[in-house]
Amino acid sequence: MIEAHGLKKDYDGNLAVKGLDLTVDNEIYGLLGPNGSGKTTTVNMLTTMLSITEGTASVCGYDVKKDAAKVRECISYVPQDMAVDARLTGRENVTLFAKLYGIRDRAERKRRVNEVLEIMNLSDRADDYTAKYSGGMRRRLELAQALVHNPRVLFLDEPTVGLDVASRRSIWEYIVKLRDSGVTIFVTTHQMDEAERYCDRVGILRKGVLMKEGKPDELTAGMDSIITIRTEGGFPSKIPDSVKQIEFKDGLALFTSPDGSASLPELVRCYEAEGIKIFSSSVREPTLEDIYMLSVGQQEEGAFDATQFRNMMRRR
Amino acid sequence: MYRMFAFMWRDFLRWTRSPINVLSTMVMPAAWLLFMGLVIPAPYPNYLDYITPGILVLTMLNAGMAGGTSIMFDKVLGYLNKFLAVPAPRESILFGKIMFITIRGLLQSTFILFIAVIAGASIMSPLAYAQMYLLLFIFGVLISSFATTISLFLPDHDSYSAFQAFLVTPMYLLSSALVKYESMPTIVYWIAKVNPMSYAIDGARMAAEGNFPALQFVVLGIVAVIMVILCSIRFRKATIR
Repeated sequence: MIEAHGLKKDYDGNLAVKGLDLTVDNEIYGLLGPNGSGKTTTVNMLTTMLSITEGTASVCGYDVKKDAAKVRECISYVPQDMAVDARLTGRENVTLFAKLYGIRDRAERKRRVNEVLEIMNLSDRADDYTAKYSGGMRRRLELAQALVHNPRVLFLDEPTVGLDVASRRSIWEYIVKLRDSGVTIFVTTHQMDEAERYCDRVGILRKGVLMKEGKPDELTAGMDSIITIRTEGGFPSKIPDSVKQIEFKDGLALFTSPDGSASLPELVRCYEAEGIKIFSSSVREPTLEDIYMLSVGQQEEGAFDATQFRNMMRRR
Repeated sequence: MYRMFAFMWRDFLRWTRSPINVLSTMVMPAAWLLFMGLVIPAPYPNYLDYITPGILVLTMLNAGMAGGTSIMFDKVLGYLNKFLAVPAPRESILFGKIMFITIRGLLQSTFILFIAVIAGASIMSPLAYAQMYLLLFIFGVLISSFATTISLFLPDHDSYSAFQAFLVTPMYLLSSALVKYESMPTIVYWIAKVNPMSYAIDGARMAAEGNFPALQFVVLGIVAVIMVILCSIRFRKATIR
């Protein structure tokens, strides 16, 4: 559905995307990456809104450069900022897009509009002005607008940003349903937990280069467990060979190990042998967020960004 | 065409649901009409008939300049981004906007004309009205594409408001709206002579007298076409990177 080869975007000498190769089928593909890594640029090129500097891309089998109009007919794009007309009702907002997508027959248009409002569970509020809608409802209305012409590919830029937990979940449930009904979903997000749970495959973008790509569980499968030990401040002079220290600051030490549950007792013994009092210790399996931080954390310094990693750990 | 009408449909719905916007651009011309036509001593006989074309063109000028922010808001609020990704030709967004602003101006002018007639302006022949409306339409296209072009150049709404305030009143006062050319000092005379607003006003007056305003149609038509072309170029640059 989406194919890109050697995709490049040059903004006046500043290379935002550096030769991207992508193949996306009927699945939920999540493009992850820090701000400025080239996610939105990539989406804008694939949705024909931005010219491609070099390389080729096709969506639904149409070349993005040569057949831009055909591409736009088979896709929908929902940008990050929620833009629904507050002075129009939900139904009018969707009807506008039905018209813009060229559904000219009045009866057919009415039927499609009702259908997508129903799918997005907005039928009972369809004739209210959207000024009265909650954030989650506006997002659902945007999805309804995007679905009104039966697109084969749906591009979503940060679909859950600014929404509460329940709304996030409900948006993702709709997205999964769409995937099951045959729509290809290309989504950019900063929400690692959501990407891990709902995306079939993810790609991690850093400075316009795809660092890692694959199924979330496959990406985390090969990675070592993470051991956390909190002490009053001491650090043992000797640690087991099987563990690798990745950070130590203010009594909080982080280690990785291929077999965390076996290494933890050994590590604890090293601490005890030197009389360092341990407040707490834990082992956990790595998450997509760890993979993400390891892949993009070096963005600025060319080395593991321990501060970011620690902040991330404290959040859990 | 179909998509252009869809964009216009959206703008009209939004406009009619905001009473303050419906009224705001009409209050100033209505006040000028009543003040100049009824309050101050008339400098010429039938002064109300003399200034009515000027006030109608002022209404178009006001409506057109106020409409310049429309595309700017669509851009800032993210609507434009969504519209650019639909299979509608991109020009339909722009032309829909220009047509909406112009037709909205014509509706407001009709309301002002109605007030003028109630205040005592003479009723003209249908042909004179037809020519006057055509002139107002062309002037509306000219001014709304000009306003839209400017708004696509300026960084934010504040600077557009400043531009609007700086342009509207001088353009109106330095035209043939309120005084005859022969009563103008030389410098004002020449500014009024090149002011596109004067062409629309003079044309409407000629139509009222039963003459066909050929020169005015040609000049306004050419300037309007140039403005639309410039606006399209600017719009392409602002949207396609």
